[in-house]
Amino acid sequence: MDKLIVLLPATPLLSALLITLLADRSRRRIARLSVGFSVLTFLLAAASLAFYLAEGRPQWASFAPGWGSLYLDPLTSVMSLMVAGISLVVHVYSVRYMAEEAGYTRFYILLDLMAAAILLMVAAGDLVTLLVAWHLIGVLLYFLLGHNAMRPAAQRYAFWTFLTYRLGDLPLVLAAVLLYETYGTAVLPTLFERIAAAPDAHTVAGIPMLTVVALLVALAAFARSAQFPLHTWLPYTMEGPTPVSALMHAGIVNAGGFIINRFAPMFVHAGGVLHLVFAVGLVTAILGSILMLTQNDIKKSLGYSTMGQMGFMFVECGVGAFSLAIYHLIAHGLFKGTLFLGAGSVIGNARKHDGVPHDDVYTFVVERKPLAPRLPWVLAAVITVVVPLLVLGASRWLMGGDSVGEQGGIILLFFGWVTGAQLLFATYRLRVDSPWRLMAMIILSLIIVVAGYTLIEHGFDLFLYPDRELSERIYAAASLPLATFEVLVMILAATIVVGWIATYYAAANGRAHRGSDASPLRLAFYSLISREFYVADVYAWLTQATLGLSRRLNVWSRWV
Amino acid sequence: MTLLLITSLFLPLFPLSIVLNGALTTLRHPAARCAVLLLWPQLGIGLLSIAQHAIPSYFVPWALLTSGLYALRLLTVRDMGRWAGLLATSGLALTWALAAAGADSMDLRLFAFWFSLPHALMALLVLPLTRRFGAAYAGLQGGLIGHLPRLSGVLTVTALAAVATPPFPGFFGLLRVLHVLDWAGAVTVLFIWLTWGWAATKLLQGFVFGAERMESDTDIGRASTLAFAGMLGVFIAVGLYSTGGGL
Repeated sequence: MDKLIVLLPATPLLSALLITLLADRSRRRIARLSVGFSVLTFLLAAASLAFYLAEGRPQWASFAPGWGSLYLDPLTSVMSLMVAGISLVVHVYSVRYMAEEAGYTRFYILLDLMAAAILLMVAAGDLVTLLVAWHLIGVLLYFLLGHNAMRPAAQRYAFWTFLTYRLGDLPLVLAAVLLYETYGTAVLPTLFERIAAAPDAHTVAGIPMLTVVALLVALAAFARSAQFPLHTWLPYTMEGPTPVSALMHAGIVNAGGFIINRFAPMFVHAGGVLHLVFAVGLVTAILGSILMLTQNDIKKSLGYSTMGQMGFMFVECGVGAFSLAIYHLIAHGLFKGTLFLGAGSVIGNARKHDGVPHDDVYTFVVERKPLAPRLPWVLAAVITVVVPLLVLGASRWLMGGDSVGEQGGIILLFFGWVTGAQLLFATYRLRVDSPWRLMAMIILSLIIVVAGYTLIEHGFDLFLYPDRELSERIYAAASLPLATFEVLVMILAATIVVGWIATYYAAANGRAHRGSDASPLRLAFYSLISREFYVADVYAWLTQATLGLSRRLNVWSRWV
Repeated sequence: MTLLLITSLFLPLFPLSIVLNGALTTLRHPAARCAVLLLWPQLGIGLLSIAQHAIPSYFVPWALLTSGLYALRLLTVRDMGRWAGLLATSGLALTWALAAAGADSMDLRLFAFWFSLPHALMALLVLPLTRRFGAAYAGLQGGLIGHLPRLSGVLTVTALAAVATPPFPGFFGLLRVLHVLDWAGAVTVLFIWLTWGWAATKLLQGFVFGAERMESDTDIGRASTLAFAGMLGVFIAVGLYSTGGGL
């Protein structure tokens, strides 16, 4: 078992070393070697998960006292399998995709090193190993994104990514130093035991030490997972090769959710930080989704979509649903990786057929087809508001969720409600021959998706957090005072119901398009979005100011 | 006190740090620069041992200020020889933080070594660049990765070692420094570390990446590449062994 944990990051590392030594061999051989090692890594990850399931207890392996250790627990085994799987797909995809590119061998070396670094991060058993792996991912990503050395844009955005990641490294280093100073160990299992034994033993400037450390870890996670306002690097990294985009959006960017889960025993004592994580996640999800809708480039749109998804992942962490965040991370990784790898085909198809549906007037006048009927708007509005709520509530009740105790569950229910309602609204707007049949099919799909999602999430929670008490304490830490929460729930519920009814009324009476006149306020909002809230401009100004200061200092000191 | 001030010539504190950087600018041969970068701080630690004097509290902020100043200046330096000198000054100034915390002489010697060997290697790399292009100036050549992959690789890894990228020992040395500093000091050091990384990417973008502007030249030999790689590999191994992970 110990050997398996060590072999996980060691296998891609060995592959990188062998490719370096065989750099003069043919491209095909190098690719075969790298893909072969990737297959082996994937099998090792699967075996480590199987061994964990068989033994049922975490394993810890160390090479030196206090550092250089690896830890195999449920989180490590699940994440390793996911990382190894995505890495394998990206390796196979790159064999032909990168065949015409310069630096083919270098690309595979970097890809293998990246796989090794991510696997080391997810399996790190102590703070120092975690820091080393965490930092190396940022460095390797810089070289992967800037793989095309001739493109200035690729270099520029690789640099942005590097600097943001480096900025995110700082709080994590500080958190590690504080934890070591306070609890006298860098070994994660021992550290968590000591935290549980003495959570309130220390303060920093009058603030509980664990709150400060949790905040620092959260800041590191924000930078790594492109949370507002540290998101500007993400949509622009499309200048890198497509396989790197896939690897980054499917794996690397999820590190924020992973690190919060890794430090879950600490977040139990930092409820205030979880509320901050929720707020930042919510803002990021909203802004990411808005920015996604305004893009006209598929890869950039996918980039902002990832930003929005990362926001949702943090919302889940913020409400205490840590295991759900990991499930989300894996699900998002798989579908976003697929989307990136298929983006080229989509662009190719779009050149032949734009796929934009014709509007009602076009259908009636040009195609000479009568308009298909719609459901009565009042009935559709009632279905939209009631059905998702019933489906979600029933699935939650079946799983035995404590609706009063787990406020996080209720908040997530709201997200599910809005999303389900959006789906039904989209169905209502479609002009089809049999609207009732379509609505019934959509509701059936919704039930299957929600039931499946709830079942998997429940199973995931039991697997990742076998200590039920810890899971409940995380939910409790993320909870708001009951009175505040109830008021918020009522306001939110009323807003959603009224909002949907108003939307249906407007759609049924043809007012949805009438309000689209370019008023000054709308134009100002659009310009704000098109400039991406000026965040990147502020960073560019700060960068130029710093470089200007540096230049002046050098001139004054005559360069010595 | 006089001895401490003399020591701050060798473990450079601004404005006395001008002496080290002036000397590095005056010395033309990269091997001589390399020797100075390796020996200069060790002389300072020797003097510190002789002084046996408690280090006044204001030396730590002075050292942080020096380190920050040189890190900031590093961002717009394009001559690689000067770059190595300024970065060494920024890193070596941090030795004072460890010294003020009572670290023993061996620890200080090792710390100074972590922050002088990669810079000495950087100074050595000026030689192959100057031979090929007449100067080692970022942005002058560019795109070396296309036709000089070995030199680019060695330059990249050495630059990463110089800016204390893990698993190079500079990173673990930096963790030791963070361990002995207060909040404000630790945050300052982390921002200095961030600035080093920024400066390294600027330097690499000027040499390794970008469009090729010159005719292809012969790359450095396999033996030289292996020598550099071996030295950096041993550097990592020794660092991991002797720092024990830094914390």
